[in-house]
Amino acid sequence: MSDNGHNPYNPIPMHIVRAYYESNDRSLKTFELVFDHQKDCDQFFSKYNPGQFCQLSIFGKGEAPFGIASAAWEGEFVRFTVQKMGSFTKYIHNLQAGDPIGMRGPLGNGFLLDDWKGKNIVIIGGGCAFSTLYALTKHVHHPKHRPDFEELIVIYGARTSGLCMYKHDIETWYQRNDMQIHQAIDVPEEDWSHHVGYVPDVLKDVAPSPQNAVAVVCGPPIMTKYTLPVLVDLGFAPEDIFTSLEKRMKCGIGKCGRCNIGSKYICKDGPVFSLAELNALPADI
Amino acid sequence: MMYILEKKNVDQTLSEWSAKYEVYTPQKVEAYSQFLPFTESSELALNEPLNTRYPPKSLFLPQSEVMLKYNKRLNKFDEIKILPEKRIIFGIRPCDASAITLLDTVFDTDEYQDPYWTERRENTILVGLGCSEPPSTCFCTTVGYGPFNQDGLDALMTELDDVYVVEILSDKGQKLFSNFPASSKDQEQSVLNIQLKAKDLMEPAFETENLKQTLDQLFESDYWSEIAESCLGCGICTFLCPTCFCFDIVDEVQRNERIRNWDTCMFRIYSQEASGHNPRPTRAERTRQRLMHKYSYWLDHIDKIGCTGCGRCVRHCPVGLDIRAMLRAASNFEREVVNVG
Repeated sequence: MSDNGHNPYNPIPMHIVRAYYESNDRSLKTFELVFDHQKDCDQFFSKYNPGQFCQLSIFGKGEAPFGIASAAWEGEFVRFTVQKMGSFTKYIHNLQAGDPIGMRGPLGNGFLLDDWKGKNIVIIGGGCAFSTLYALTKHVHHPKHRPDFEELIVIYGARTSGLCMYKHDIETWYQRNDMQIHQAIDVPEEDWSHHVGYVPDVLKDVAPSPQNAVAVVCGPPIMTKYTLPVLVDLGFAPEDIFTSLEKRMKCGIGKCGRCNIGSKYICKDGPVFSLAELNALPADI
Repeated sequence: MMYILEKKNVDQTLSEWSAKYEVYTPQKVEAYSQFLPFTESSELALNEPLNTRYPPKSLFLPQSEVMLKYNKRLNKFDEIKILPEKRIIFGIRPCDASAITLLDTVFDTDEYQDPYWTERRENTILVGLGCSEPPSTCFCTTVGYGPFNQDGLDALMTELDDVYVVEILSDKGQKLFSNFPASSKDQEQSVLNIQLKAKDLMEPAFETENLKQTLDQLFESDYWSEIAESCLGCGICTFLCPTCFCFDIVDEVQRNERIRNWDTCMFRIYSQEASGHNPRPTRAERTRQRLMHKYSYWLDHIDKIGCTGCGRCVRHCPVGLDIRAMLRAASNFEREVVNVG
């Protein structure tokens, strides 16, 4: 064993307490996990920061990285929303409350909340990548944290209303007087009273001020690609625009080599980078 | 302080050490040599002109290794007891020892220690053998090392007629050799001459000054597709490389084991994402990753080139691609680009 007596490759034993479909096409499913041992729980929450991710582990199936979708104050559980893509996520989708699961984390740097104190926060998300932004919004909502930040603006787009995640909770955000929420879907639907259109266009309409503000963008590559220039046009400096990156990963702790862009490892140096940092990296994405 | 190990006593010395240590030495395997556990019947291959084909990094990062054994039904796992034995690696070449110190900066960081690596490192003594006559495929001096480089070694041997003269480089080394006869002043002078001469024999293989800047500038150029044109993508350059450390983690379902295997950036699937997107879709991007990692990214990390000049990738490439020629071409390519502009 290493000096600190901990093998970072060992999965932490957990159980699923809640599992429910997030989208009406059943492609997105949310899982809430609790720790089997209190010391693992304490250790996790002593380190956890929104924007971080975990490796979920299933013996016989392997591991894959997922962003954390819960804030620490919500309780002693960890939430993940998993999109069914390949064999591993298909297997996870079949798990139910009571099933055991392994987890390694929290991993990565997370959002730079200390640097953002006293600023307006503009959160821009698309699709299932909104999960870590949901954790960030929840974090900011807590009465203890809310005074640390100024205005909170959330823009969240999905292809259809059926693919909108965390619906019931987000509907309550419209009643809050300490934030703005703008939801958008790509094409009009009956009974949809919010924005219709792509996220970059909604962002143009909302036009948040860059004064004393940071913008956080997470979404599919195509959305991010067209959203970043809009923010730059609005006057956001590259140092104040943040995004979270994804790459194929194995170890999650900067050893196995594969998730680098230039000399940065997404797992260890990221996944959150400022646009200024990204601009300094080679085009290896 | 230097000690003398007589060549005729090597077998006996290794036998004695074997009582207390697991001893690894280079041994003949078909047309090549490889580090294997020493036994009475071992055929030592200490003074082969070429280094072992298979790199001794495998003694710290095995090609395939069990990380844990699991019981799927009970959802439990047993930790692997990594290595209780003390080990001596005898006759490791300086390039391979310095490569291990480079890999320490990956596997033994403050934030995350890789216990499989660190346990083996703590329990292993490295007795090096310097290279009096470096072969033409070696280029350690070009990348900042040398045929008698001491990084990572506990003791360094220099061949001198019938004996090995042993320089002690650590407490571990001192303990191992303290009962051996001391060398004479003449012998020590000869050792110094041999070491200087070996270094002088090696011509610079390519320009390293500004090499990182050159490669960084070429990132989006056609240089990579040109040098990768004849590459088969077999990955042997990375598997045999003493500083390549990439690995894959997979569950071996029939054995109920989570294992890690050497992996290579030269394979398409290495960076293939679940969405179908691949940031390195052709051999040009993959060759770029391999060269940039060694000659640019390592410099960003620890300000050292991530290559120790062992020459294995040069000797074993099935289509004769030579990393030294590739890097010379980089400097020339940059000049061409600049001239055209």
